[in-house]
Amino acid sequence: MRRTFRVSGSLRTSSVRRVLLAAALLALPALLAACGSRSGGESGPGKASAAPAPAAAPQVFRFRLREEPPTVDPAQMTDNLSEAIIMNVFRGLVAMDPATLAVVPAVASSWTVSPDHLTYTFRLRDGVVFHNSRAIEAKDVVWSFERLLKKETHSPRRWLLEPVAGALEFAEGKAATVAGLTAPDPRTVVLRLEHPFAPFLGMLTMGGASIVPREVYEDPEKKYLRAPVGCGPFKVVRWQPASLIEMAAFDKYYDGRPALDLVQVRIMENQVTAFQEYRTGGLDSLDEVPDDLPPEVQSEVLRYPLLGIGYIGLNLDRAPFKGNVALRQAINYAVDKDYLWTRLMPGANVPGRGLIPPGIPGYDPELPGYPHDEAKARSLLARAGYPAGRGLPPIALWFNTSGDNRRIAEQVQADLRKIGVNLTLREVDWGAYLKAVEGTADTPGEAQMFRFGWALDYPDADAVLRPLLHSKNIGPAGNYFRYRNPAFDDLVDRALVIGEPAARADLYRKAERLAVMEDAPMLFLNYYGSMTLFKPYVRGVTPTPLGEFRIPLERLRLDKPAS
Amino acid sequence: MSGYLLRRLLGLVPVLLAAATLVWLLLFALPGDPARLIAGSRAVDPEILREVRAEWGLDEPAPAQYARYIARLLRGDLGISYAQGRPVAAILGDYALPTLTLGLAALLLAAVVGIGLGTLAAWFRGRAIDLGVLLLALVGASTPVFWLGLILILTFASWLRWLPVTGYGFDGVVLPFVGARLPEWRHLVLPALTLALVLAGALARVTRAALLDVAGAESLVAARARGLSRPGVFLRHALRRALPPVVTVLGLQLASLFGGAVATEFVFAWPGLGKALVRAIALRDLPLVEGCVLVLTAAYVFASLLVDLSLPLLDPRVGEGTALQ
Repeated sequence: MRRTFRVSGSLRTSSVRRVLLAAALLALPALLAACGSRSGGESGPGKASAAPAPAAAPQVFRFRLREEPPTVDPAQMTDNLSEAIIMNVFRGLVAMDPATLAVVPAVASSWTVSPDHLTYTFRLRDGVVFHNSRAIEAKDVVWSFERLLKKETHSPRRWLLEPVAGALEFAEGKAATVAGLTAPDPRTVVLRLEHPFAPFLGMLTMGGASIVPREVYEDPEKKYLRAPVGCGPFKVVRWQPASLIEMAAFDKYYDGRPALDLVQVRIMENQVTAFQEYRTGGLDSLDEVPDDLPPEVQSEVLRYPLLGIGYIGLNLDRAPFKGNVALRQAINYAVDKDYLWTRLMPGANVPGRGLIPPGIPGYDPELPGYPHDEAKARSLLARAGYPAGRGLPPIALWFNTSGDNRRIAEQVQADLRKIGVNLTLREVDWGAYLKAVEGTADTPGEAQMFRFGWALDYPDADAVLRPLLHSKNIGPAGNYFRYRNPAFDDLVDRALVIGEPAARADLYRKAERLAVMEDAPMLFLNYYGSMTLFKPYVRGVTPTPLGEFRIPLERLRLDKPAS
Repeated sequence: MSGYLLRRLLGLVPVLLAAATLVWLLLFALPGDPARLIAGSRAVDPEILREVRAEWGLDEPAPAQYARYIARLLRGDLGISYAQGRPVAAILGDYALPTLTLGLAALLLAAVVGIGLGTLAAWFRGRAIDLGVLLLALVGASTPVFWLGLILILTFASWLRWLPVTGYGFDGVVLPFVGARLPEWRHLVLPALTLALVLAGALARVTRAALLDVAGAESLVAARARGLSRPGVFLRHALRRALPPVVTVLGLQLASLFGGAVATEFVFAWPGLGKALVRAIALRDLPLVEGCVLVLTAAYVFASLLVDLSLPLLDPRVGEGTALQ
């Protein structure tokens, strides 16, 4: 299939992310964050001079990454480890407030959107400079965006800019410039879209749309892979392979120098030793919280929701789920989600009721979902044609190898056995798992049931409803359920092109109700959450549904007692 | 001697080629499509997968891929990492020094502790000390590195707080010319000790056995008769004659040293080849796996050569002719 980006077309998602997810959504917890403080409010570059008195000890915040980030090139970023560095080093035209998820000014100080929702005009902020001290102009934005689109870049995030008019022609080498991307003067950038596309501004906040200096990123030797240069609050000053990445506060950051002087990112895979490091004071924050947390550390755990959902998919093109809504609903009622997430695996995840996670427009607090109800499950099972499970052969539940996946699968197996539905568990490695689940656009995958998770690429209901359930995405593009409902497609497509936020949210709520309550293409398990440890002296921590690595380091401050 | 050296060095070539072939075959037989890894999240598009396969030569038949791989190796080119997009040689360069320092430190420590304890045991043969050393050696040799590392961390870092938990240290000396940084000694102690304790057990037993073996030799009796003290005979004559088997065992232990280094580096977040290898395998980063295996094989073969060359120096009776047989 061709990679095109149409309003009604498929929006592809990162398989790396899917890997991370399915492999262990539960392992998402990640790193964490840092310290520092923001000197409050707005500030210009001049603010650096208001730094703390010279006598104060340097503010050094240390957190852990479980592996070296796969890349620090914003155009190649698809995973949250890379985000931990990139989102601190780079900035785009706009940024996302990590707490409210609102789009806020970054390199652009303001913008306007034309009444037809096609033309976005950005006014660049004065005095924004790269870490190499060169001032940013509109042509840097044009060059960075063209770089993302260019075929030679092979960017997995090219789709961020594909809504722009002429983007695909440029990407495929059929045009020398992007028709819809212009810089009428050094301080103005104009983006014209092919079609109205409501999530576009939010997508520009993603790392892939970062502004990079051409003189650094044209290097054929790619030195920028170890020495990235952006215009964000921190600059990379040291990189010891597989061991340490050091970021120092950028004095000329447009929003004011961060309070943290230095951030040390330590790379350690082993969770056990990482926790010992945290306990003994070698880390100020830790992304993975051990199951058997000592009581004295309990108060240092920060729990917060993430933009993601966990579920067990049902293959609607295979027996016994094909054409049998009652069976799918019976399974949903039979599983005790509260027990699963409050007793069996207590942590940051909460029982799920639907598709749109809390925190984004369109989330429906009134959605009933499928609370545990064994009697209802039995009667639906009878209505499905299998009274007490008679005549229903065992169903295969597939999951990729992971302790958490196995625990979930075994609990679901036990719950379903109570109403007479028997599951066989198929635990396989990631490659074999994906093969059994994905299928192709024309043929369904082998798996009848499959445990999966989904993290949203950007905070918009479209980023979960479209990739998972739009009929255009059946197969490897994300709709493994092979869910087809023209009414659902229509609601989601309409929501994409209207600009009024409340009306959009309303359409998404309708679409979600339709899929969840009437069609039940999956067993809704949980909304994801995250847990991160912070030492009590770390101030200014902003929990964010964007994930542990998006907790803004520039707002942190250390309030350590003098040692 | 130089002819012998040359022959031994030439002998490295077929060994390395065999290792390269074996690792290539193993990786080729693994399930999973490297093109998918390289393409990352673009992999859902068959057109892009085709492009990637063509670009990396993954669409060629297996014999052609193998021939290209060997030809590349003979040119000294280890290829480009799928996952990182950087030359494998550069990546290995990043990781080689930490593993080398860890390995050497562990070897040195193991030699001192192992030979020391073995000598002690032989001296006090049959007494409580002897028994204690033998028991210790048994425990040391049968303890999993992984577990030992955690126990040392919990004891010396978490509880006593004498040493750092993990890491390489950020302020070690930078080697001139090479530009690579040495570890800080405080960070080196626990991982080197972990690795050394496992080797030291075997060394202690061999040292003890070899010493007892030579203790009754006529030359030693003669030395005693010349009026040399017992400790003098022991240290100047017996230990020297007992060393060749000890050094041989030390050479043979290098393989377990490398194996142990993988686990040790994982536990202590040590930025070395073992850690790089494990991650490359997880990511199916075939060129990097091949590079790591080749470097480790070469190191092993080369170290064995050094052991062989050192034997005539330790014991003049082991001549070059003997070593060649």
